[in-house]
Amino acid sequence: MAKQYALDDASVVVVIGSGAGGGTVANELAQKGIDVVCLEAGSRLTLADVENNPPAMDAKMGWYDKRIGAFLWVCKTVGGTTMRWSGISPRLQEHEFRVLTSYGQIDAGTSLIDWPVTLEELAPYYDRAESKMGVSGTHGIPPSEESNNYKVFKAGALRAGYKQVTSERLAINPVARDGRPGCQQISFCHSGCAIGAKWSTLYTEIPKAERTGHFELRANSMAVRIEHDKTGKVTGVIYRDQGGELHEQKARAVCIAGNVVETARILLNSESALFPQGLANSSGQVGRNYMRHTFGSAIAVMPKPVNLHRGARQTGVLFDEQHHDPSRGFAGGYQLQAIGLNPHSISNSIGDWGTGHTEFMQNYTKLAALFITGEDPPEADNRISLHPTEKDANDLPVPVIEYRNHANTDAMRDHAIAASRRIYESLGATHFWGGDAPVGCHNMGVARMSADPKDGVTNRWGQAHDVPNVFVSDGSVFSSSGAGNPTLTIVALAIRQADHIAERMKRKML
Amino acid sequence: MHDSQITRRRFVLTAVAASTVAVAPASWLPENIARADGTDDAALTRLARLLFPHAGLADTVYADVMEILFTTFESDPAKAQLLDTAASALDAQVNGNWFDADEDSQISAIRNIEGEVFFAAILAGVRGIFYYHPGVWAHIDYPGSSKEHGGYKHRGFNDIGWLPEGE
Ligand SMILES: Cc1cc2nc3c(=O)[nH]c(=O)nc-3n(C[C@H](O)[C@H](O)[C@H](O)COP(=O)(O)OP(=O)(O)OC[C@H]3O[C@@H](n4cnc5c(N)ncnc54)[C@H](O)[C@@H]3O)c2cc1C
Ligand code: SF4
Repeated sequence: MAKQYALDDASVVVVIGSGAGGGTVANELAQKGIDVVCLEAGSRLTLADVENNPPAMDAKMGWYDKRIGAFLWVCKTVGGTTMRWSGISPRLQEHEFRVLTSYGQIDAGTSLIDWPVTLEELAPYYDRAESKMGVSGTHGIPPSEESNNYKVFKAGALRAGYKQVTSERLAINPVARDGRPGCQQISFCHSGCAIGAKWSTLYTEIPKAERTGHFELRANSMAVRIEHDKTGKVTGVIYRDQGGELHEQKARAVCIAGNVVETARILLNSESALFPQGLANSSGQVGRNYMRHTFGSAIAVMPKPVNLHRGARQTGVLFDEQHHDPSRGFAGGYQLQAIGLNPHSISNSIGDWGTGHTEFMQNYTKLAALFITGEDPPEADNRISLHPTEKDANDLPVPVIEYRNHANTDAMRDHAIAASRRIYESLGATHFWGGDAPVGCHNMGVARMSADPKDGVTNRWGQAHDVPNVFVSDGSVFSSSGAGNPTLTIVALAIRQADHIAERMKRKML
Repeated sequence: MHDSQITRRRFVLTAVAASTVAVAPASWLPENIARADGTDDAALTRLARLLFPHAGLADTVYADVMEILFTTFESDPAKAQLLDTAASALDAQVNGNWFDADEDSQISAIRNIEGEVFFAAILAGVRGIFYYHPGVWAHIDYPGSSKEHGGYKHRGFNDIGWLPEGE
């Protein structure tokens, strides 16, 4: 059962964060008999804590430490943002691993590089990730059930001439599997799944790791700094417990998976005489190339009731626009995904007020909606940095998030909104709204993998170029964003990284 | 019901004649809005209705939303002044008492200040309370929590019947 390790036990791998990346890498290591201490800033909820009450759940599991700049809707809780996510799990496509080769450098502000990993290399790990997460339509798992909102999306897309629309690729059990039940279409996925049908590390990776006897979860433990010896090798992690006391957990290696902003903050905050720009940052690339996808939403009033609030938050992906076709006026592609939202989220997406806005709200039962996610070119100036003077309640420098949409992103969103309009108008929509969705849910970049150490922070294993026993295990390592949601790729990379760490350890190289 | 002496004092109507309209205390802010005894304040209710004009939705719902907003704001020092500021700004827009202006002028006054930080905070606050309000949910047929009913698996998540079939 769950172990406890001594603070001075330097044989453990310390994993920072228990979400998609951290929970996965920790469990994969523990399954191989490697001892792991997982430091998680948030507390541990149970399924009984999950209510169909978004504000209450935001209070229980949201991240409220001070940040300056663009907003991120991420979680501080065991399981991280896998408690809140929708579960859409597409693979990246071949061209998305070679963006510089496929698109060329877009302009002087962008910093595209190709991934030092290919789709072919990652394919077996995608298989393992899909099987682990129970992705619908893969590995003998049936497609997800088609909700009303999905059916409108699909019928409209077919009428508009699209072909590749599917209710597969959802990491929510359509039927019972792996000790978890099938989806009951409760529809509050963003507030945690009350029955555990949706994959979250809280009730998959974490308890599985605990059962190995090689894993300790330390909840309410905020990592603040990573320590190293004279040679630059990392030796431990300083963290703050619930009572505010600092401890150091010694470590053989450290895997960081704090969901991008926090990952960058830990590295930057671990500056020292040896690493004056922050740990693993001789390239100056830590925190840079922050990406969050081209985001957008489309909402339509249909001629008859849809009841989009019934059923899983998101079911359905349209892949037809994911390819690269410069004749559309932008590089890279996008996906459209059906999304059901509660009244507040619909109103908030539209953002406006007055009669135009309220026409949609008054027709809530007739609404259909979709979400746009597309490739976001990396730019060095889209970045996370530390505020020079301001500290938060944990006495950590406040992270500053600078992000602006590239013109490519705006052009892509316009195209996607026009496509969405065609989809809904083909079925007689009476009102249509399309626009930006200004919330950061998909966070990528800031410690990207690069073949050349000058271009990034980590190598093809997510291992720091500068410090061999530091690994980055979240979306920070993405060399580019691709179009689709990132979590499946985070999990695939984390599985692959755990294999690599185990192999290195066996060869006494770690 | 929460008693708010301090806020009441802050919001007491003062007939102070100020030198410019922009800094004059808003003439329509309530001393006591929408308390449990049913005393509505017409101006705040009006503001809420212009923001989210649902035909047929009772004034009492709008008044209740503003009451909740008011209570939330007064307990937060960063927000306590926001309604004051907004009220003065709206009055300034109409060169007088915003509440007495005609509907078109009231709306364009709001449009003219919608870019202000204080107004964005108020709008977000009203939106958050309004679209989580049971009275609004009932009005737009949104049923809220579903887990206690076993979700929608057997309650119509896929019951749509009007889409074109087999095209
Ligand atoms: C509403 C919503 C819907 C989404 N839908 C999808 C979807 O359909 N498909 C998809 O692929 N992705 C989706 N995502 C994104 C998905 O949630 C993330 O990609 C994923 O959770 C990222 O994994 P992670 O491990 O990097 O971070 P997280 O899952 O956020 O985990 C990070 C963990 O690290 C902890 N932590 C941070 N800093 C520290 C520290 N210093 N010390 C200790 N612990 C720390 C945090 O508390 C957190 O628990 C969605 C996100 C949101 C908000
Ligand atoms: S819709 Fe399915 S996955 Fe989402 S919360 Fe409900 S049961 Fe869980």
